[in-house]
Amino acid sequence: MKNSSKLMAASLAVAMTVAGIAGCSSKDAGTNAGGEKKENVKLTMTSWRVEDTKQYEKIIEEFKKANPGIDIEFKAQKATEYDTILDTALKGGQAADIIQLRPYSGATKIADAGYLEPLDSLKGISNIDASYYEAAKGSDGKIYGIPLSTNTTQIYYNKKLFEKAGVSVPKTWDELVQVAKTLKEKKITPFALGAKDGWILSLTHATIGPDVYGGKDFVQKVLKGETNFKDAKFVDSIKRFNDLTPYFPENFTGLSATDGQALFFTEQAAMYIGGSFDLQPIRDKNKNLDFDFFPCPPASSGGKGTITTWVDGSFGVNKNSKHKAEAMKFMEFMTTKEFGQLFADNLGRVSAVKGVTPKDPMVKKMAEYSETIGTPYMILIHFAQGNPSTKKTLENELQGMFLKQATPEQVAQKVQESANSWFKPKK
Amino acid sequence: MAAKNKNASRYLIHLFPLPALAVYVLFMIIPVFTALGYSLFDWHGMVRGDFIGLKNFVTLFTDPQLSGLFKNAIGHNVIYFLVSLVVQNAAAFYLAYLIYRKYRGAEWFKVIFFVPRLLSLIVVGFLWNLILNPNFGAFNALLRTIGLEEWALPWLGQTSTALYAIILVNAWYMIGFGILIYLAGLQAIPQDILEAAELDGCIGFEQIRKIILPLLMPSITIMTILTFIYSFEAFDLIFAMEGSEGGPYYSTDTLATLFYRLSFAKDGASSAIGLGSALAVVMFVIIASVSAISLYLMTKRSNA
Repeated sequence: MKNSSKLMAASLAVAMTVAGIAGCSSKDAGTNAGGEKKENVKLTMTSWRVEDTKQYEKIIEEFKKANPGIDIEFKAQKATEYDTILDTALKGGQAADIIQLRPYSGATKIADAGYLEPLDSLKGISNIDASYYEAAKGSDGKIYGIPLSTNTTQIYYNKKLFEKAGVSVPKTWDELVQVAKTLKEKKITPFALGAKDGWILSLTHATIGPDVYGGKDFVQKVLKGETNFKDAKFVDSIKRFNDLTPYFPENFTGLSATDGQALFFTEQAAMYIGGSFDLQPIRDKNKNLDFDFFPCPPASSGGKGTITTWVDGSFGVNKNSKHKAEAMKFMEFMTTKEFGQLFADNLGRVSAVKGVTPKDPMVKKMAEYSETIGTPYMILIHFAQGNPSTKKTLENELQGMFLKQATPEQVAQKVQESANSWFKPKK
Repeated sequence: MAAKNKNASRYLIHLFPLPALAVYVLFMIIPVFTALGYSLFDWHGMVRGDFIGLKNFVTLFTDPQLSGLFKNAIGHNVIYFLVSLVVQNAAAFYLAYLIYRKYRGAEWFKVIFFVPRLLSLIVVGFLWNLILNPNFGAFNALLRTIGLEEWALPWLGQTSTALYAIILVNAWYMIGFGILIYLAGLQAIPQDILEAAELDGCIGFEQIRKIILPLLMPSITIMTILTFIYSFEAFDLIFAMEGSEGGPYYSTDTLATLFYRLSFAKDGASSAIGLGSALAVVMFVIIASVSAISLYLMTKRSNA
């Protein structure tokens, strides 16, 4: 009796497993049959911007009005997991029709693996400035993605705290240091920064550094091999960062980047060096925060100052998509001014499409600055390669510098060693 | 009839491990060989290139940047193991002994010490990240209230303390498990031996040293090996508390975090699947061989 009940339990378990598997597959078949109606084409679109899902759905609604019969499902994955998920999906032939591509080497990697459709002959491709496409090209020089926007980094400041300390927006770097000094004397933390996360360090350096090493010109020289990171001007840019140490929060090496940002939006720190993508999150966290931004001020009053820019992600078409023609329609749509305006206003970002004026005054100002005094985020655009990448090396070495375990000269030395391991100047 | 039935069920028993075995083979055995295969090829991002033999291993050990990181990481694994071994095992044995001797509230303490083990390690990491936050964490607040202002340091944000902070948090998490193992070992010691020892005047620390510890050798062996394996795979807690970079300034970088960065490098760096797999193979060889050798030596000694 006892034995037979055991047997029965075992066979029941097997039966349930089989039923479970069968149940799953039949369910899948059901959704497939429902999704593929005869006249309607349903495209899928992946992205790492989970937080923008609603806004993208709004934009897709507009696209559907102009292109009846094409539906797009926007599916976003967590930013930190997106790359791994996409890699696996591409390898297994299960990737979406429209794929969001990381800028620069991220896009190049996928294009070179042969997963993307070239877009050079797309109608409307010239509606976006050619410089943007640098972020979405393969090694063969062809365009594989339609870029969305420019990111900028700048110095945000709290208007109320500036007023309280009796300081105004600085016109030169020395004035900025003076402002920081005054704030500190008034017991206000001058800069919100958490150095436990490396990326914020390279971003901060990229914001305050170009004015010292000479922005675009220096980048060109490095790329051509006329100079390198051991250049005294580059070392000085690291020194400038190091010299700000007294104005960072107490124990800042133990604070995370989000802790740093929190100090700014909870009004404990007066300035925050951050990206354009921080604008909306800061507003969401503290609706009453009265803040604005200024670009990195120039060393001398005659200079113009700098704002650091780079192209953000783009969207490309999966080469193995079953609905390539329809996906191309969406690519065309992405180059229109209509899309640019929708993107700028719904997501609060600077659009890549020519002639789009954002409604938001701060976003508008960022767009204008990036046209006039924009300088490239060199480490991210050109040096995010290698094992470990040169960008990560800079980040870790800067961390070492703030922990008093590396000098600015040693930081530059290590960065150059990392670049040497893979980077070949274009003669 | 009954005999036949009994026979059938005896054979049937052998089928029961099959599901577990299938999962084990699929997720443990096959990946080991896949990694070994991957490590012998050149990789361009996610596309497999040519067969290059042991070149990935050579790069791992000779490239100035990589070999530096490798040495740094393996050094941290060793520290992780040694400190864990001393802290975790000594404390776990001490606490297990107190519970075994039925000090007041022993049953309660048994439960309390085991509670952290019920949390996910990632949760533990984030929790302690908050507690150890230098400016608004509970730990430094406590130090400030009791007048140890100058001790309120960024524990996770300086190279000298970050690794030890993580090891101690891990010990806090793991100690309940050690207590259970030792308690089971202590309870398995025959009472008459201890009574005989007491009659001979062998009590207290002498009893622990001369009778209890030798009889606990099997528990100590298994704890040592488990601690070793765990220390050389240390990843989740470091990832939760310091991120995949093993920061600050590589001070908590271990083989596993280095492996993670090499294989799944972020920020557009070329993810080197070949190099990562080579490192995974090295880790496997270290852990498997040291565990096997120590298991052999220790069982041999306890049998002798």
